[in-house]
Amino acid sequence: MGEVILTMKGIDKSFPGVHALDHVDLEVRKGEVHALMGENGAGKSTLMKVLTGIYKKDSGTITYEGKEVEFHNTREAQDAGVVIVHQELNMLGHLTVAQNIFIGREFKKGIRIDDKKMNEEARKLFDRMHIDIDPKETMSNLTVGKQQMCEIAKAISHEAKVIIFDEPSAALTEAEIEELFKIIRDLRDQGLGIIYISHRMDEIKVITDRVTVMRDGAYVGTLITKDCTKDDIINMMVGRVIYEDPKTKNMTPPGAPVVLKVDHLNAGKMVQDVSFELHKGEVLGFSGLMGAGRTETMRALFGADPIDSGDIYVNGEKVTIKSPQDAVKHGIGYLSEDRKRFGIVVQKSVAENTTMADLDEFSNGPFINKKKEKEIAEKFVKELDTKTPGVDQLVVNLSGGNQQKVVIAKWLTRNCDILIFDEPTRGIDVGAKNEIYKLMNQLAAEGKAIIMVSSEMTEILRMSDRIVVMCEGKKTGELDISEATQENIMNMATREIS
Amino acid sequence: MANKSVSKTAGTKKSFIDRMGGQQFIVLIIVIVMFIFFSAMSPGFRKYTTVVSILDYSYYIALMAIGVTFPLLTGGVDLSIGTGLICYSLIGGLLVRQHGMPVAVGMIVTILIGIIFGIINGCLVALMDLPPFLATLCTCMITRGFGAFVVGGYGIPWPAAGQEGGWFRSIFKIQVGGQNIPIGFLWIILLVVIMSFVLNHTKLGRYTRAIGSNKEATRLSGVNVRFYHVMAYVICGLFAGLAAIAYSAIFATVQPGSGAGFEMDAIGGAIVGGVSMSGAVGNVTGTLIGVFVICLLKTGLPFIGLTANWQQIITGFVLIAAVLIDILKRKKEAGN
Amino acid sequence: MESIKQNPLVKKVGFNRIVLCIVLILMYALFCALTGGSFAGTRRILSALNYAYFLGFLSLAVTFVIATGGIDFSIGPVMFCCALMAGFSFTMYGVPMGGALVISLVVGIAFGIFNGYLVAYWDVPSFITSMASMNIAKGLASVFTKTQSVSWPQSSQDGGWFRSLVTLDGIPMGLIILLVIAVVCAVILNKTKMGRYILSLGSNKEAVRLSGVNVKKWEMSAYVLCGLLVGIAAIFFVGAYTTVQPGYGDQYNNEAIAGCVMGGTSMAGGLASISGTIIGVLIISLLQEGIMALGLDKNLQLIITGVIVIVAVFADVVARRRKN
Repeated sequence: MGEVILTMKGIDKSFPGVHALDHVDLEVRKGEVHALMGENGAGKSTLMKVLTGIYKKDSGTITYEGKEVEFHNTREAQDAGVVIVHQELNMLGHLTVAQNIFIGREFKKGIRIDDKKMNEEARKLFDRMHIDIDPKETMSNLTVGKQQMCEIAKAISHEAKVIIFDEPSAALTEAEIEELFKIIRDLRDQGLGIIYISHRMDEIKVITDRVTVMRDGAYVGTLITKDCTKDDIINMMVGRVIYEDPKTKNMTPPGAPVVLKVDHLNAGKMVQDVSFELHKGEVLGFSGLMGAGRTETMRALFGADPIDSGDIYVNGEKVTIKSPQDAVKHGIGYLSEDRKRFGIVVQKSVAENTTMADLDEFSNGPFINKKKEKEIAEKFVKELDTKTPGVDQLVVNLSGGNQQKVVIAKWLTRNCDILIFDEPTRGIDVGAKNEIYKLMNQLAAEGKAIIMVSSEMTEILRMSDRIVVMCEGKKTGELDISEATQENIMNMATREIS
Repeated sequence: MANKSVSKTAGTKKSFIDRMGGQQFIVLIIVIVMFIFFSAMSPGFRKYTTVVSILDYSYYIALMAIGVTFPLLTGGVDLSIGTGLICYSLIGGLLVRQHGMPVAVGMIVTILIGIIFGIINGCLVALMDLPPFLATLCTCMITRGFGAFVVGGYGIPWPAAGQEGGWFRSIFKIQVGGQNIPIGFLWIILLVVIMSFVLNHTKLGRYTRAIGSNKEATRLSGVNVRFYHVMAYVICGLFAGLAAIAYSAIFATVQPGSGAGFEMDAIGGAIVGGVSMSGAVGNVTGTLIGVFVICLLKTGLPFIGLTANWQQIITGFVLIAAVLIDILKRKKEAGN
Repeated sequence: MESIKQNPLVKKVGFNRIVLCIVLILMYALFCALTGGSFAGTRRILSALNYAYFLGFLSLAVTFVIATGGIDFSIGPVMFCCALMAGFSFTMYGVPMGGALVISLVVGIAFGIFNGYLVAYWDVPSFITSMASMNIAKGLASVFTKTQSVSWPQSSQDGGWFRSLVTLDGIPMGLIILLVIAVVCAVILNKTKMGRYILSLGSNKEAVRLSGVNVKKWEMSAYVLCGLLVGIAAIFFVGAYTTVQPGYGDQYNNEAIAGCVMGGTSMAGGLASISGTIIGVLIISLLQEGIMALGLDKNLQLIITGVIVIVAVFADVVARRRKN
């Protein structure tokens, strides 16, 4: 480790209603890989957005290469050598690899863009990284892993001195992760400062030199990675929040009937020959890497995307599900990973969202019975302890956790017995997280069957009775909670399938 | 969403059609088949004069279509080009006819007003964030009212061939030994070559496509997205101005209040030629070929006994068919 | 300013609507002053109302489509197509007046089904279907009438009874019918499943679909209702102006959309106000009458409504930006 290249001190940032960053500190040295850890909503991404000029900080100082700086946009940050490799890839799918890498700073010959030189330069970058990608290939034709490499190449080509990796491994296979680590070590040895954001404890131990932990938007502490244990880091991340006790054994009542059976389901490339069973009163976890096909499986099963082949049985009866309407008719409810886009209508009230799936029940002929609607909405606000000034409140004004409760209320209103939770705590702050967990356990105890798709390993291990693991569109394993460990789940999730 | 369609393997083997230019190649064949069909059906169609009149029709549509390709590539649209064309031509013509300006000045003014309205459209869309179809629908109505208002509701005849200033009509058509030679086609080809270069080899074209592909990512790459987004509409306005000159040169009189529906021929041509409604995909040569499908319909249908009104109906269905093909193609790609 | 907005009464009626009403009154006063008082009096008001009837129905029609987040600028030409086909059936084919009125509604609904089906079931962008059906409507009307204009009967003539829908013994029946249908539209939009689904899918179509709602059906229903209202608009157009010519009608698109967006209906969908639309339509109608009374070029109307739409939509964009 060399001298300090970047210091963020006392960074404070508020959004209306949320104190997103509360005097956070971060120090990065040349030639180190510095992990930034914290649960969803801890403020890691916000901190990085402040650093790269996407957000303006309220107070605090950023010192870079010995000078106090404030970048006003990503361009300024890039030009100074602070580059971020995004989690969601910022690519232009219709352009070629080289065109993507040099977008905004093309080589020119007169007014003509010199594509030939750009291709050559891109080739040189890839040679430096020891990877083989054709600069002339159209971006959208590459795999997610290759696209990530292009993003990194782009970052390097900016003469970067600090590179931020925002969950770079989330979508990569094991071989690709190794390739990524090799590149990161190379960069470190060249004296760059690397900020590495990840959820995966194992990776942190393997690749990073120091780790800074954040919780609830506040700085918790910085540790030397090799001197600390995983538990040290987890304790710092979780802090005083007391979670539901992790399950150690399957809590499903023995002999519980199978309420949902999926048999050889195929839907496009992302869902290949997936079969599983779901019991009454069970929480079935779905684990895997980003892009493993878990969400796609759920969407296909729910009728949101077309099914190519395969059978679905609900309560032992074979059913045809061609649209979400069919699924809902058979008592299946889906809580999407992206609530704002797929779960709620934000510009409508709590009551309107609650009855969305079951409006017929609250109508006399074509007319809506608003009194009855209000009653059921109020009932669920009370039961689920949703924090809202009233049921007429627009959902947009609610916090993430309370929005999630409105979606749950929607499906309970419809009396759905099978609930699919896709990333149930994404974008929900730490305190509200546990409430959602409690609610899920309570629902399972009441006899609902729950599928939970989650990318957070701790969440999977904390909540599931059984676990299904997927990789590249295929089911690669099924485990009882009593035999599940992080290691064997990861093995299944990164299994190369020939 | 873009991430969903990315897991294709690299280096897939291209089909014969793809190697020949994909949709463009198919559309070119359709043009040829249509030409053969009309020729077979009607002896009146198999004449040199018919070819000249097809080309006459094609100039202003092709110019509008080349222009509108740019807003389409950004994922937007410009509906004001049709009525705009008439408006620019009316104002330019008015200067020549009533204020005794030389024709060259009238032409320059025509183009300049086109550019001004292009800037207005660009600002409405790129700076003020109005939905493109709505903003340009408004400028469509505004140009229509403005043109008619300025000339006071009367048609404007630009100078005829042989009159003083009538030379400008020979930009598109010259007479050699009693035969009309449609040299305007050469200009169109030249402009297609120039605009293909602009689209594929300059920053302007590169960023136009990039905005259509992923505007936010382009912005985050440090590109001055607003400027280039406005420029797409400025190019469109410039070409609407050029189309106005072509229109004035081909037709005897320009009538205020007309022009509605021209934009559909141009946009239809571009989409038939492979420009995607969702942006980023397509090129100028494809647009030109697509325009000829529309022009053949326009000129060919009367020869098989269908009136001009039918041709309006059929163009409507052709537009929808072309968009449907584009939608199905994208769905298929997303499914892979 | 903020304190006025927070006043409970103002909140109930809607700040936007109060401002529109004030604008309406000021405009009337302005025209009266500019014409030296000749604008005052029932003649001008009745004339403006004649314009407001058909425009009101057009504007109500497009309100439903805009509420779904779509657009329909084929309504003007489709209205002309309805009036031409129905009128031509009456004058040339001897269809009784009752039948002709039904034809007008049927043609309107047919275009609604066409647009709605393409948008809802085939995902064609609504402005493309608008553009196509605008031209199809013009072409179809021209083909059907062999490019002749059609005059509907005067009240004394055979079949002229339909004019009593517009005025009966000096009573402005049209206003009564327009207001009744506006109330029906408001009930549909605010009190029924159809309205709830239309507004919700305009706000977030995918979320509504994933709630197990048949969004395609409901989205299409908005277009069909739009078509029906356009068919009604056609009857009131000829009731006031008698003659229709093929190949026209698009100038009314913008005026209808202007009435709608001025009244507070959001172009982004999900937010619509029927009462706002009606006030917006009255403003546009008064403007049209004022321009006529002042002897100004009628093309000014095109320019002014164009600018009004731009300003109204921009205000909506800014309001949404501030919210986020």
